[in-house]
Amino acid sequence: HSQERLERCVAIVTSLTNGLSEREANDAITANVCKGPQQHEEVCLGLFALLLTEPSQAQRCYRDLTLVNRDGMNVILIKINQILMEKFLKLQDVCRTQLVWLVRELVKSGVIGADGILMTLMKQIAGGDITNKNLWLAENVLDIVVEQREWVLKSGMLIAMSVYTYLRLIVDHGTPALLVLRQKEVDFCIGLLREKFMECFIIGRDLVRLLQIVARIPEMELLWKDLLHNPQALSPQFTGLLQLLTARTSRKFLACRLTPDMETKLLFMTSRVRFGQQKRYQDWFQRQYLSTAESQSLRCDLIRYICGVVHPSNEVLSSDILPRWAIIGWLLTTCTSNVAASNAKLALFYDWLFFSPEKDSIMNIEPAILVMHHSMKPHPAITATLLDFMCRIIPHFFPPLEGQVRQGVFNSLTFIMEKRVLAHLAPLFDNPKLDRELRSMLRERFPEFCSSPSPPTEGRDEVKMEESVSLEMDNHVLLDKEGGCYDNTEAAFSDDEEEINNKGNKKREFRFHPIKEAIIEEPADITPYVDQLDDMMKEKVLQLQKGSDTETHCEVMQEIVDLILEEDFDSEQMSTLASCLAELFKGHFRGDVLPDEITEESLEESVCKPVCLVFRNLCQMQEDNSGFSVLLEMLAELYQKQPKIGYHLLYYLKASKAAMGKMSLYESFAQATALGDLHTCLMMDMKACQEDDIRLLCYLTPSIYTEFPDETLRSAELLNMIVAVIDSTQLQELMCHVMIGNLVMFRKDSVLNILIQSLDWETFEQYSTWQLFLAHSIPLETIIPILQHLKYKEHPEALSCLLLQLRREKPSGEMVKMVLSRPCHPEDQFTTSILRHWAAKHDDVLGEHIKALLIKNNNLPRKRQSLRSSSSKLAQLTLEQILEHMDNLRLNLSNTKNSFFTQTPILQALQHVQASCDEAHKMRFSDLFSLAEEYEEPSSKPPKSRRKAPASSPRSRKGAATPVSNEEESASSSASEEEDSKPKAPKRKRKGSSAVASDSD
Amino acid sequence: MTTETHVKDIKPGLKNLNVIFIVLETGRVTKTKDGHEVRTCKVADKTGSISISVWDEVGGLIQTGDIIRLTKGYASVFKGCLTLYTGRGGELLKIGEFCMVYSEVPNFSEPNPEYSNMDQMKNKTVRGNDTTNGNGVNSQGSGSSTTPLQGGRAGSGVGSRANNPGGTTVNGKETRRSTKR
Repeated sequence: HSQERLERCVAIVTSLTNGLSEREANDAITANVCKGPQQHEEVCLGLFALLLTEPSQAQRCYRDLTLVNRDGMNVILIKINQILMEKFLKLQDVCRTQLVWLVRELVKSGVIGADGILMTLMKQIAGGDITNKNLWLAENVLDIVVEQREWVLKSGMLIAMSVYTYLRLIVDHGTPALLVLRQKEVDFCIGLLREKFMECFIIGRDLVRLLQIVARIPEMELLWKDLLHNPQALSPQFTGLLQLLTARTSRKFLACRLTPDMETKLLFMTSRVRFGQQKRYQDWFQRQYLSTAESQSLRCDLIRYICGVVHPSNEVLSSDILPRWAIIGWLLTTCTSNVAASNAKLALFYDWLFFSPEKDSIMNIEPAILVMHHSMKPHPAITATLLDFMCRIIPHFFPPLEGQVRQGVFNSLTFIMEKRVLAHLAPLFDNPKLDRELRSMLRERFPEFCSSPSPPTEGRDEVKMEESVSLEMDNHVLLDKEGGCYDNTEAAFSDDEEEINNKGNKKREFRFHPIKEAIIEEPADITPYVDQLDDMMKEKVLQLQKGSDTETHCEVMQEIVDLILEEDFDSEQMSTLASCLAELFKGHFRGDVLPDEITEESLEESVCKPVCLVFRNLCQMQEDNSGFSVLLEMLAELYQKQPKIGYHLLYYLKASKAAMGKMSLYESFAQATALGDLHTCLMMDMKACQEDDIRLLCYLTPSIYTEFPDETLRSAELLNMIVAVIDSTQLQELMCHVMIGNLVMFRKDSVLNILIQSLDWETFEQYSTWQLFLAHSIPLETIIPILQHLKYKEHPEALSCLLLQLRREKPSGEMVKMVLSRPCHPEDQFTTSILRHWAAKHDDVLGEHIKALLIKNNNLPRKRQSLRSSSSKLAQLTLEQILEHMDNLRLNLSNTKNSFFTQTPILQALQHVQASCDEAHKMRFSDLFSLAEEYEEPSSKPPKSRRKAPASSPRSRKGAATPVSNEEESASSSASEEEDSKPKAPKRKRKGSSAVASDSD
Repeated sequence: MTTETHVKDIKPGLKNLNVIFIVLETGRVTKTKDGHEVRTCKVADKTGSISISVWDEVGGLIQTGDIIRLTKGYASVFKGCLTLYTGRGGELLKIGEFCMVYSEVPNFSEPNPEYSNMDQMKNKTVRGNDTTNGNGVNSQGSGSSTTPLQGGRAGSGVGSRANNPGGTTVNGKETRRSTKR
């Protein structure tokens, strides 16, 4: 759309100036500009677009622009900025060249705002990219700042930004071919660093990080000498390296080394992609930005960006969005160069080294500790490497400052515990998965953090915990949720929304605490909120705080609800009120919701809590009542402070008589929350419920499935939540619910997909899933295709369940086909087991099906088979496979009285196959074929002569076309043997040869 | 503005489909008898994934991670699997990349026994469609038709319209998710 607009503006300018002399043209556009702001903008943009696309007219257009514009080029600056941020990558080379030329002209003319544009242009120079396009840009922008040095010196930010940019780019320009460029960059940086050191100082500690990486370059070495030994030489205000290292780097600099496209993609990953679904996005990012040797240097920029700039909101932190540590883990593990890996580790720990709780943010140091914590189980080597790095960096970072670095790391660890990112460090530092040497090094360096919480010390720990909790509880809203959503670790997340106000104003800091501490009863403290309420409301809330028995609480709560529903209620107070209520009622959200013994009375009693009053009022209201949405808004606010309220509402709707038949209210609630949709909300609430109270989860399950079939029946996630925590009693209860008709957990259209997804689950989870499935009466036929996904040894649970089920069935054509499609593996007895069973019970049916398959696979041109196989990697049925399975069955039955192989259809089919198969197969399956040797069609004598005639008869064809057929078949069989090692190429080959075969047929 | 169909709502026989999806896998090329290159790509939106059959040169321009708008597509069953095609006069237009939430499951192109019967019945007619109509670009047959996707990938100057500036924000709110393990 913006391009269409530009085209239109070009057309306007062209029509204004068409056929006129230069002077007349100038007059014409000047006159047009005077008509009004719209015309002014059109002319400016038209000239701008012409300038970008028509290099020959660029000079004239720029002159016209400077003459006619009346806004200090503002329209143009905005447009350039927009193009740079949104579509620089897509610009054609001509436009790109012209754009850089234009920026240079703007700088030359000293247009106000050109410094901002120049900084945005610098941002387009990608780190770790030495393609010609990128080098061209780096060089041209450098030319601008070198030529216009005097102008650059006027802007402190521009000085700092260009030094940061080019110090970083120097790293990429180390190859001999680029040394000229690098020298130019070094000269430029050194010049500014020496002349304007204090302007560069505003970068913060990352300036040191960059200087370290390029320290070997002679000019840089000299600068380092001054930095270390003669700081005053750089600036009288500069006291030394420590001053710089204790200054936190501003986000601006960390962000400036990522192109807008990189930023967009990383931010998308950290705000929208769910944990567990990141693989493809990571691969795409890797492909675009991290696949070359020179691009490894970019990893540091990305890690610094994630630690220092990406600070997700509480909502994101408490959701199952891809956490930052997981991205860091990916960036560390996929690194292909040692130098880059060691720089990447330094980047990860950079804010630890001189960490000060007053100046620095927990968010900057959190990724490192969490990546170590979460990698312990799946990748202990990563944790070990990082812990080792953390220890060694203390003496090695800079020996004269060893004490400070030790203090910084110590401060980080203390703050991490204080903020409950991790409750204990001992499980990390003293973990049996780490080798002894590392553990003893950790014990030596950090004795304070290594004491395992043995019983006596645990007591002390708890006391400490209580203190720290009570200190912070004042202003904090607790969300007791064990370890976020990822696993059952005690990791907790915290956030620093407000950088600077961090210390003074902690109100908005939400944190997750392990359940353990939440049990400590704290008097509710609502002082920070209560004064923000109006008098009436304040009075009620204070009454609520004073009152002790539930009945009074309920009465007051009803009055509060009434106040909310009054027309003059100021909805601005809603959030504050919700904070008060969440704090006052926090006790209600601890402990079990469901009564021990479920009776009508106990249920009714359990829904008599004050919070439930809001629910009850909601139930009694018509949905079109204006109060209805006000109450929903109230609940949505409460939900933000206390997510447990979600499953409490579900419980209320199920348990309370007053809510009978109103389960659908939950949907309205879900839509009113910040999550905004039923599915997400339901999943989050069920997850929370699962973590807090498994009995309740089971109690809610039937209603949830009944009431929200669209959200539940296709959700493997929900099913896994359930089967991951239930015990065998609960499983049995759920099965009864299914059989009684209270509960439907699977539907024909989605069950197969769910079962396929369940294949990665734990054994008990899988068995439970199958039991639940079997409790339904869905025909087995529906899920038979799962057999194609089941691999020997990888999926024993599903295979054994399926085996027992198949045993009860009369074989259908599809079943036999699927069973025979299993790849032959000497130890995999699945197919033989079921075939043997069927051969005994349903020999005739099985015989017919096998005959049909043998004949079909023998006759079918193989092309069709292989086409299908190219589209999926599922198990495929080949003739060879059928024969192999048959042979196994024959061996298995050889000493029994089973007469399966004497059946006419089988013998017919074997003869049929034998007649057309090549010598290798004849040899291989000679025992099998010999079974049919004796056989002759009972009624074959008289019509034999007639049957000999048609060329399609396999026997006659064998005689007539032996050479051709042999050639084809051996080609196809050799191809299928290769198939195991090289699936792709031979398949094509086979298709080619079979195409010939089908033609000759 | 025409409305987009979600992957989950694509049923065999539907025509005139507009779908926005992200490309997850690009399949190997197969050649038809008359020399057309056919590629089967796995694509997805927030409601699930499906296979799309892409014909000739467009297939070579598609990369995984591309966000593409299909116009005038149709769905039919090929070998028991639901498959999406570009219809006559339809096209594939790259409107962005990377920034779209998708769900890989359910895969609506999983072989479905119910479809196999239909497939057999319709096999001939479907084949007929494929060759004449497999891809909008292809079906024009004349040199005048351009490949819109090419514009999207090769980039364009200010003067070109192939770029969609709003392309990176196609996805709506995510509603489905799958297991986390």
